[in-house]
Amino acid sequence: MSQRRPFWYLRRSRRLVASEIDEELSFHLERRIDELEASGLSRDAARLEALQQFGDVETTRRYCRRQAEQKEKRMRLGLMVGDLIQDLQISVRSLARAPVLALTIVATVGLGIGATAAMFAVVDAALFRPLPYAAPGELVRIYTDTPPYRFRFSQADYLALEAQQTTFTQIAGYTERAAAFTDGQVAERLRGRVVSWSYFDLLGLKPALGRAFTAADGQAASAPAVIVSHQFWQQRMSGRADAIGRSVRLDGIDYLVTGVLPASAGPLEFQQDFFIAARWDTPRRKGPFFIITLGRLADSARASAAAELRAINRRIFPLWRSSYQDERATWSLVDLKESLVSDFKSAGHLSLGAVALVWLIACVNASNLLVARITSRRRELAVRSALGASRSRLVRYLLAESAVLAFSAAAVGVVLARVGIGLVQRFGDVFVPRAAEIALAGRALWVLVIVTAISAAIFGLVPALHGTGGPVDEGLRSLGRSSTGNLRVRRLRQLLVSSQFAVATPLLIVGGLLVGSLNNLKRVDLGFDSSNLLTGYIALPRAEYREVGQQVAFWTELRQRVERLPGVTGVTFVDSRPPQDAGNQNNFNLEASPTPAGQSEPVTTWVAVTPEYFPLLKIKLLKGRLLQDSDDGEGVPPVIVVDQAWENRFFPGQGAVGKRLWSGGCSTCPLTTVVGVVSGVKYDGLDAAEMGTVYSSLPQRGADVDGSRARYIMLRTASDPAAVLPSLRRTLRDLDPSLPLSRVATIDDLVVQSLQVPQTLSLLIGALSVVALVLSVVGIYGVMAHYVQQIAKDISIRLALGGAPAGVLRLIVGKGLLLVGAGVAAGVVMAFAAARFMSSLFFGVSSADPLTFAGVVAVLMGAALVACWLPAARAISVEPASVLRND
Amino acid sequence: MPISPLPLLQGTLDLIVLRTVALGPIHGYGVAALVRERSNGELAIEDAALYQALHRLDRQGLIDAEWRPSENNRRARYYELTPLGRKRLAEQAVHWRRYARALDALLKGM
Repeated sequence: MSQRRPFWYLRRSRRLVASEIDEELSFHLERRIDELEASGLSRDAARLEALQQFGDVETTRRYCRRQAEQKEKRMRLGLMVGDLIQDLQISVRSLARAPVLALTIVATVGLGIGATAAMFAVVDAALFRPLPYAAPGELVRIYTDTPPYRFRFSQADYLALEAQQTTFTQIAGYTERAAAFTDGQVAERLRGRVVSWSYFDLLGLKPALGRAFTAADGQAASAPAVIVSHQFWQQRMSGRADAIGRSVRLDGIDYLVTGVLPASAGPLEFQQDFFIAARWDTPRRKGPFFIITLGRLADSARASAAAELRAINRRIFPLWRSSYQDERATWSLVDLKESLVSDFKSAGHLSLGAVALVWLIACVNASNLLVARITSRRRELAVRSALGASRSRLVRYLLAESAVLAFSAAAVGVVLARVGIGLVQRFGDVFVPRAAEIALAGRALWVLVIVTAISAAIFGLVPALHGTGGPVDEGLRSLGRSSTGNLRVRRLRQLLVSSQFAVATPLLIVGGLLVGSLNNLKRVDLGFDSSNLLTGYIALPRAEYREVGQQVAFWTELRQRVERLPGVTGVTFVDSRPPQDAGNQNNFNLEASPTPAGQSEPVTTWVAVTPEYFPLLKIKLLKGRLLQDSDDGEGVPPVIVVDQAWENRFFPGQGAVGKRLWSGGCSTCPLTTVVGVVSGVKYDGLDAAEMGTVYSSLPQRGADVDGSRARYIMLRTASDPAAVLPSLRRTLRDLDPSLPLSRVATIDDLVVQSLQVPQTLSLLIGALSVVALVLSVVGIYGVMAHYVQQIAKDISIRLALGGAPAGVLRLIVGKGLLLVGAGVAAGVVMAFAAARFMSSLFFGVSSADPLTFAGVVAVLMGAALVACWLPAARAISVEPASVLRND
Repeated sequence: MPISPLPLLQGTLDLIVLRTVALGPIHGYGVAALVRERSNGELAIEDAALYQALHRLDRQGLIDAEWRPSENNRRARYYELTPLGRKRLAEQAVHWRRYARALDALLKGM
């Protein structure tokens, strides 16, 4: 069949096929006529007889043609496949002879393809894809808006909005809630939400089992209801089918399970174990503000909804004037998806951009290496061309080589992308919203295919078109020792190298700015001694610790027992944890300079502590006195301690001690007096500017408020805090076995954790920058080495005629640096724009930091200098005569 | 009165052509002449049917064709068995012999 066909009749046209059949049939008939004539018939009789013996000539001719044409068609396909296989075989063989080249290209481009596809999958899931809820475009988040702050709704706000709004088709609210889950002996702290009954309805989430909440679940008359996550159902109810209607005990209260969510819900439900139906009643005061409010409305109604929000806010403002005076505060709405993912936007775009740039550099590098390879193979190609291979056949042969490389790279890329996505799913939910939705499927898969195709085209077509141009004999005649080389090819390589540097420069600069930011963050003074501090969170269930007396007794007893533990040098309670867990933001009105009516009162971080807190953390007292146990008594006027930043902000140059204020916007409450000033501590993140902190007493004997039932215990240990943890847990269990110790961490752990996001980002971008730098330097080295090799004869003549080696060296290196410099200059311009665009990611460095810019330019030019100098030095160290003799 | 030639049994034409081509490179005219000679005119095979069979077998990859100069110096299409064709011929020959034997035994027994 196809393999038996001799190469010279490659293709037969339809006409040829037809004429061959005619010839065959007429051969038969004429032979037969001759034979019959020889046996004695007349010529005419013989012809008649022959035709009669033959039968239907026309039908036979048509039949045979059809058969032959079918065979031809199949044969052609076979030939094409055969050619393709042959091309691929040749490619694999010839690449196997250059393993370093092939492996470099496959590894770098594979890395680029894989990283780009994986990062696209991440960004696609986080930013591009619509939320996995019903009609997600209609969902909005509603805020209380007092620029520059946006905060949540209070119960009063939420109920008023729900009752008065007319433009939203649905309103829902939720708030975080951690609760101790008790199941016989085990006490565990679980994460969950308290949600308005309309929550699931608004999102369009249907429980996999049971039902969603109804309006009745929000009434105090009905039994407390909970919907649990798939995970909770699997792990804590062993996935039993009769889970609906059973009860689960959370914080000492029994809840009736009305539904189980499907395994994959949305990002709002991510890692939440339970959803309690809220019962929000009209409160006595406006605050606190803890409800995240969601709305669903038709796209066209956005403008009127915004107006309505403002109007309702205005309408209810007078009702709460006694507890809330900020007249500037208004309500506004923003797209729900936007509000969920906006933090990730800069980092996500930067990461995607960076991997794409590295991919691009890898492709350009591959292209560059292949151009060099083809130039050195011009002779082989010229021979093939002289032997009759058409230009298209040669291009196809070169493309096959690129295709082999591209497919190998794609294979590497797919593996890397899968591994990368797996890692992000496992460890990435700290950094990436909607990590659970990431998958190498759909659009991400298309991106992988397209990126692979573009890779193949960039590093295939470009060199192929440049390798086969020009008349055949030119390539043959020069036999690879042309003294100037092909000018076009050289120009192309130079352009490629320049663009590599142009792409690498912004990447390195952004990487440098990120590393600088990270260093600045690490150098931030925490303001206290963070070593050997162990913390954990304890919340007393309201059901079992209803009386204030019970609560006080518990905390006192716990402290006394923990203080006696071996290895513990001090114990305190606090509602916040440095460096990034401020318990409260509170507003207040200064007696000395009251806030004018209708304006926002100042807001600062408000940390409630017990008096041991300051000596335990070694916070320095600067003025006045610290808090004392006696400050927290009944009838004692309230006092606070402030930090240096607070004093500087509100009483610059006068001293804050003795100054008084109304706290929480409560103008009828007794005045609070500042009794001391201490050194600053970070509570709002290492990168936050210090806006002042107020320390108040954690209520010991006060009313039944949050701080009296839930707080962190913080203890300093003599040595490794981990060694004390078991005895701390045991002490707590002895006191009340139903109480879990949650959020256990040392302060040093928390500092490391708070650096995790910037650290990961700068590590990622830094690593990519290094790859880009290496690839670019390899590129310029390759080009210069090739260049020097091509002008070796010229160099030798110069040197032989007495030219100074230093001058030649300068000439060559100068040429290389000119190429690099042009690329770097273009890159610096791009870096300016790019860094400004993502300035929110930097801390303590300007997006145009001259030191970083200069440093990166110096590193790039320095590396390029070495890469240019090495081949140049080698060239001038060669004995000129030997080069000229060899020629 | 001469006995009229036998009509061809279904499926036997391809076998006859394969068997004939197996004799070596042979052109269509040669096949026709050989069949006529070997069957002593007992089989009624039109030349048209022979050529159609040749091209059909060619398309099926059982035989292969090549132009060569013939005895009288005109070029002719010579056919040869491919390995596949050789295999098919062996199978078909066994098949038909068994068939004929079985039929023969049946007829004798009546």
